[in-house]
Parts: sequence; C-alpha cells; structure tokens
Amino acid sequence: MQNILAVLLQLDPNQSSRSLFAGDTSIWHNMADALHQSLDRVLLLLIAVLPGILAFLVALAVFTLIGMAVSALLRRGLAAAKLDERLVDERGNSNWAPSTSPTALIARASFWGCVLLGLIIGVLAFDASYATTAILSSSLLPYLTRIVGAAVLLIAGTLIARFLARSVLIGAVNEQLQYARFLSLGIKWLVLVLTAAMVLEHLEIGGNIVGLAFGILFGGIVLTLALAVGLGSRDLVSRSLESRAEHPGQSSAPPPTAIADDSIRHF
Amino acid sequence: MATADLNPGVITPSAPPGNGLLVLLAAMTPEQLDSVFAKLTVSFPGEELLIATPDAISEALPASAHPSFRIVAAPASNTAWTLIATDFVNAYQLAEKHEARAILVLGSESGSLSSFALRQLANAALGPTDLAVPCYDLPPHAGLVNSAILYPLTRALFASRVRFPLAVDLGFSLRMAKRLADAAQHFTAINQGETPLWPVNEATEAGFTIEQFDVGSHVQSSRPDFNTIFPLVIASLFSDIKAKAAFWQRFRPLSPAPIAIPMPPAPTIDTAADIAPMLSAFRLAYSNLHEIWSHVLSPNSLLMLKRLAATDAAAFRLSDNLWARIVYDFLLAYRLRTINRGHLLGALIPLYLAWVASHFNITASGANPEGHIEAVAAAFETEKTYMVSRWRWPDRFNP
Repeated sequence: MQNILAVLLQLDPNQSSRSLFAGDTSIWHNMADALHQSLDRVLLLLIAVLPGILAFLVALAVFTLIGMAVSALLRRGLAAAKLDERLVDERGNSNWAPSTSPTALIARASFWGCVLLGLIIGVLAFDASYATTAILSSSLLPYLTRIVGAAVLLIAGTLIARFLARSVLIGAVNEQLQYARFLSLGIKWLVLVLTAAMVLEHLEIGGNIVGLAFGILFGGIVLTLALAVGLGSRDLVSRSLESRAEHPGQSSAPPPTAIADDSIRHF
Repeated sequence: MATADLNPGVITPSAPPGNGLLVLLAAMTPEQLDSVFAKLTVSFPGEELLIATPDAISEALPASAHPSFRIVAAPASNTAWTLIATDFVNAYQLAEKHEARAILVLGSESGSLSSFALRQLANAALGPTDLAVPCYDLPPHAGLVNSAILYPLTRALFASRVRFPLAVDLGFSLRMAKRLADAAQHFTAINQGETPLWPVNEATEAGFTIEQFDVGSHVQSSRPDFNTIFPLVIASLFSDIKAKAAFWQRFRPLSPAPIAIPMPPAPTIDTAADIAPMLSAFRLAYSNLHEIWSHVLSPNSLLMLKRLAATDAAAFRLSDNLWARIVYDFLLAYRLRTINRGHLLGALIPLYLAWVASHFNITASGANPEGHIEAVAAAFETEKTYMVSRWRWPDRFNP
C-alpha cells in the first residue's frame, strides 16, 4: 500500500516512511522541547520569586519578634518607672481605662510599629529580588500597595458600619420604633455595600460593572428602607394628619416616648 | 438705693455686700424675676443684698422697685435645668470680685420656694456650713431619675443622705465655691463648660460640711428632652465617680438623717396606662438590645431580665438588688469602655424605664413611694461590695 502511494505521489516509499517516522519523532521531540521550555520558564520564575517571598516572610517574622521584645521591654520599663501614676491630672485622677493606659498604648504602638517596619522592609526585599525590567516587579509593587489600601478601606468600612448600625439600633429602640432592627441592618448593609464597591474600585477589579452593580444595589436598599419606613409608619402618619385636620391649631402628635400623664417627670 | 448696672462698659468699684451674701440668679422671665425678688424681700427684710443676674441690664428691672438690692450683671447660663461647670466658675469669680463670704445660687423656678427656705439656705452658707442643699417636696411621679440613680448612687458611694444631689438651688461658702470653681476649670479648660458638676460629691471628698433643708414644693415648667438629657447627666455622674474612685472605695458610715423626708401619699392615678408604654419600650429593647446588654450585664442579671420581659404588666417588679447591680455594671462598663459610651448610656434608658414601671406598680399596690426609694438606696449600699470588687479586679469577671 505504501508502495502504491509512493508511486502515485512519485515518492520514494522508503524515504516517505522514514520521514514520516522522523516527523513523528520530531513532533514529539518538539512537544517535549516546548514542555521543557515552559517548565524551565516556570521554574525560573519560581526561583526568581521564591527568594523574594522568603525574604518578605523572614523580614516580617524577624521584626515581629523584635516588636514583641521591644514591647515587653517597654512595658516592664514603663511599669517600673510608674509612668501611669505620673501622668495623672492635677487633681490626682487618672482618666483612662486599664486597657488603654499610656504604658499599654506605648507598648502596643511599638509592637505594631516594628511589624509595619518589617512589612516595609519585606516588600522592598521582595521588589529587590527582581530585575528592574521585569514586568512582574514593575506591576506587583504598586498593586501590593493598593491591596494594603484596600485592606485598610475594608477594615474602616466594617468598623463604621458596625458603629452606625448600633447607633441606629439604640436610637430607634429608644424612640420605640418596632422596625429598629430592620433599620439597623439596612444601615449596616448600606455602608458595607459602599465599602465593598470602594474596595473593588481601588483594586481596579470589575470596572464599570462594579459601579453599576453598586448603584443598583444601593438604590434597591434605599428604596426598600424607604418603603418599609413609609409603610410601617402609614398608620402614624394618617393619625397625625387626621389630628391636624381636626385640630389645626394644635402642634403635631407627641413622639412615641412621651408619657401620657403630665405629672410624670423624669428630671 | 438700688444700683442697677445700666452701663456695662463702665467699671464701677465693687463694695462687699452688707451681709456677705451674693445671690446669683439664673436667667428668668420677668414674672419669675418679680416672684424671686418678692421672696428675697420677705426673706431678707431691710438687708442690703447683692444680686447678680443675667437680666441686670434688662429694661424690665426698674431701679426703684427693690431699693435694698444691689443688682449687678452676671454671665448668662446656657442651661436652665441644672447648674453647669461655667456657672460655678462665674459664681466664684463674682464672689471674689465683690468680696462675698457666701453664695446663694437660685434656679429659674426658685420663686416657688418658700421665703423661709431661702433664708435657711443663705444662713447655713453664711454660717459654719459649706454646702446647703435643698430637699424638694416633689409629687410622687417627679424626679424619677434622681430617685432611681442619682440619690442611691450618691448615698451608697459617698455616704451622703442628700436627697437631691443635682439641685439647681444651692447655698455654699466661699471655700466651697473655690473648690467647685477649681473642679469646673477642669471642664471649661477643655471646652466642656456645659457639663454638670456634683457639689455633694465634691464637698464629701473635701470633708466639708453639708446641710440639707426642707424647702417645700418646687415647680418645674421646662421639660427637657429625656433622651438627650439622661445620657448627659448619667455620663457626668459616672465620670465624677470614676474620678473619685480612691475616695469612695473606702468604707464610710452613712450620715444620720438630718430631717424627716416628706412622705407624700400614694398616688391615685391610672398606673396601667402610665406603665404600658414603658413596658413596651422595655420589651422592645430586650428583643433588640439583648446582644448589647450581654456585653455589660452578668448572666444572672440577663436571666432575670428575660423573666421580667415575659411578666405581665400587673406583676412587673424589678427587684431593688437587680437594679443596683444593673447600675453598677453600667458604671463599670463606662469606666472600662466595654462599648462606646454613647451606646452604653442609650442602652440604659429602657432598663431605667423598666425600673420606673416597677416603681409605679409598687406604689400603686399601696407602698409609700419614698419608702421604696429608701429601699432602693439601701440595696445600692448592700451591693457596694460587689461594685468595689469588680472595680478593683475587672478581669476576674467579665460577661
């Protein structure tokens, strides 16, 4: 069969089979070469990256340990020097809680200062482990700083959301609003959604989709809250309007916390 | 001759008052001012009185109306319902300027006090007493914050039987005025001049003499916003207690009752209608603020509150010891900043309303209101050891 084909194609049958076999070998060889080369590149990349990562981790660990030592030394030294007792006001009174005394604050600040220094040194060591022309190093370091900024944004946003939620909850409960918890959750999620959108935009993830989704979600939450407050207060508003219509000269209805009997005075 | 200070830009030489008393009046309406002047005329017949009032330059003050009064200008106070730090600084400065030996501070409603009471307060301040405080004869459902928190705490921690520690009418000696002014400087220096001061606590810590006088009924026309004023007053008291921790942790015997506390008759009003909104506020707060209360109160207290929330209105009773522990736990949380202080005091409001509802129930069942308040104060004294141990060792037990 090969001979027939070779004749038809005017090829030397022996030569074609030898070249086909040789072609197979070269294909496999090329494929193996390609795989070897990509493996080499990846290994080279890892070899390039690993020392930087190790340097980062070592710097962070070393400075964390240094921070712990400095913090402990400062705490003992300041306690021995009775700094807290010396820093009372002129009336001899201390105005801080035990967990936030000057000694504790200084010790804590020194620890986190060392950790931050270790972080900076580690990032610089990570950057120094690359060639300056490498694309990865020129884009990684700025993005690392963005990640840190995004983390700070996330933490701040979470704390603000919790604070506002609790403030709204307590205020609404004291005003005897039955939907106090719902209002509090709504405020919390509003702030969290806003924070998430800011974080994603800071990290340049998603582009316009994030902004659009945030707008839709934020608007939806606000609309839901408005409907809930409006529908929940429907009876209150209608009663208020009726009383105004019946007694136009009188002031508006008293707030929910007003006690009916005028003889009750809390102060 | 009355010498109204009509030219504030001209500095006239000040002479000491005839009897050494400076009367400092709060900002008042013309009717209130006339009423106070009439009472002072009766209280101090023929005596030359030095009166400092923010209305000194008002045209409503005719110079010939009260010939025995020497009226001078005083800075106006921004707060009418209590005395604040700035008031004490102004009082001392005026007393020093006019070489007064004692000061009688009168609130805007002091026209409702008896002339005899005003005289008693003044005489005590001019005499050996450093601080003369009034004991008002209030209706049963008035002064509830004072009955629930201010009086019991002051009595338990400072061993003082002064019934109204935050009185707006006071008489005090010059050295007491100096002490109060020094304490007030601490707040005015950091721009917090509208913080209330606690004269009884200051006098007790300094070892000064305190005397209490029955002054009769006190009419209060203004109704400050409760949700705004309550955290302000309680925060001020808690801060003062925190500042004087070294003093009140030592045991001190309670001073004997100087006068018989007036015992008003039990009220005859519709208790159910009064306590219904307070109970609903407490139940709403229990379902929503339980997580916040769990950061402050002990598990035992939370369990008792849980049972209370399920109790019928007629049987609603907040025990005196439980209330004392709740207030002490909040005081400790205030000191330790367990949660934000604004949130902490906001979370105390529903618990206070629960106490008020319980108090109304107890008095409606026939008990005397003043008797119940004395029992509450006694409970605060009993639970003081719990308070002191948690204050000294806050890490031993934290909810």
